[in-house]
Amino acid sequence: MDGPDRAQERLQARAPEMELIREAQAGSRAAFDALVRQYEQQVLRLALHLTGSEHDAEDIYQEAFLKAFRYIGNFRFECSFYTWIYRIVTNLCLDQLRRKKTRREDQAVVVDQSGDEIDVLGSVSDGRSFSNPGKELDRKVLGERIQAALSKLTPRERMVFELKHYQGLRLRTIGEMLNTTEETAKNTLFRATKKLRTQLAGLR
Amino acid sequence: MNCELAHERIVLVAYGELPDEQVHELDRHLAACTDCSQEREQLLALKTLTTAYPINELDPNFVARSRMRLEEALDAIPPKRWYERVGQRILNNFASLQAAPAAAVLLLIVGGGAGTLGGYEYAAARSAHSAAGLAAVAQAKAEASAAESVQQSGPAEIANISSIEREPNSEIVHVTYNQVVPQHIQGSLDDPSIRQLLMLASENASSAGVRDDSVGLLAAECRAGHGCQGAGIRDALMQALRYDKSVAVRQKALEGLQPYVAEDMRVRDAVLEALLSDSDARIRTAAIALLEPVEGDTSVRQVLSTVANSDHNLHIRTVSRQVLSRAPEIQ
Repeated sequence: MDGPDRAQERLQARAPEMELIREAQAGSRAAFDALVRQYEQQVLRLALHLTGSEHDAEDIYQEAFLKAFRYIGNFRFECSFYTWIYRIVTNLCLDQLRRKKTRREDQAVVVDQSGDEIDVLGSVSDGRSFSNPGKELDRKVLGERIQAALSKLTPRERMVFELKHYQGLRLRTIGEMLNTTEETAKNTLFRATKKLRTQLAGLR
Repeated sequence: MNCELAHERIVLVAYGELPDEQVHELDRHLAACTDCSQEREQLLALKTLTTAYPINELDPNFVARSRMRLEEALDAIPPKRWYERVGQRILNNFASLQAAPAAAVLLLIVGGGAGTLGGYEYAAARSAHSAAGLAAVAQAKAEASAAESVQQSGPAEIANISSIEREPNSEIVHVTYNQVVPQHIQGSLDDPSIRQLLMLASENASSAGVRDDSVGLLAAECRAGHGCQGAGIRDALMQALRYDKSVAVRQKALEGLQPYVAEDMRVRDAVLEALLSDSDARIRTAAIALLEPVEGDTSVRQVLSTVANSDHNLHIRTVSRQVLSRAPEIQ
């Protein structure tokens, strides 16, 4: 019963945003800045959590909004602006994850937020050192281990897990953002959880 | 439910993506399956574990730095010129027609089809009209003359309609009819053509009055001795005596044959025939009177004796006997 009411509310809430989009399409820089402020926190948070690097996150943020500014004229209100901007961001993140994965396979290292390199492959394979996390690792190290385990996923699995587990998006929305189906997103999530469990088995 | 499906659903239910009815089904399976129950625990442990890598609150400096960098980049982009915006708008409108090509093509086909059909129909109608016009002119001329002649001669003079045919898919009808053109002739009774017409009338005229007139005139001519020597008029009178339905006509024919009973055997036979078989007593009586000059003839006597014995009319039997009794010496 509240479905139509909720849809109406969403529409009303979106009305000012649609106006901003139209103005931005008409060339209003102020309108576009307003849209940036509306979404920048979410974009930065996603990019930072996915890449684990402020530098990469900043690059993704910049490139995403520059693309949005350039192509906002192509936005035809067929989906929400939120989905549209997330599609741009996830694509850029996927590219970044792929580049990073290739680099890691060459170097077998990742860079943490502070810029310190960690030999992820070596540390993950050495299960003994994580056998008692309560005693041997503090929360920061545990986070790094999880981040390392996440980096073992394929970029797409990493993205689906990120969007579902950390961002709490619906599988249908994730499918839309990644230009795929809800069913594919579901299967990708299933594979991701399986891999993570295998990777983190020693940490329990 | 098998365990493989249960494992999938454990993930879905953990992330709130499983429909309620399937949640219930999964719960029943988990209550009975230890392996799947352990699988769920492991997944829940993973969920708990992954919170160790949380999404932290963004550093405001990081956000500000990112925004400044973006603004600088945006400022570096030259503002779109009016024609670029118009071009973009046209492009958008054009793009919004992406779903319409099928409709546009359909519209084109329908339009083209309708135009072609319309043109064809128009041309066909025009050619048919012009062809029909030419034909109509020629036919109209013929028909006009025919109709004129029909009108001139009058509908009463059309003897009969022999055939009617309609041309397919048209209004044109062919009618074949016979027309009788009345003619009038006048001349003397001695005129052979007049006599010919009188003889024709005595045989074929549908009106009893015409036959009566023609036979009366021929008979009068014969009695008057005006050129009635030829076989034609006598034959016509004998024909009338034998076959005409009208008593008056037969009577006149009999009177006309009177001069030739004695001399012409064929006339005598015709009169005897009438005496024997004519249905009217007056004809039979008149025939007896006619035969008086030749009552000595064997055939006449035979007929008279037959009639005297067998004729159902008493008067005729009596007269016949009287005639026979008057000439016994001849016999």
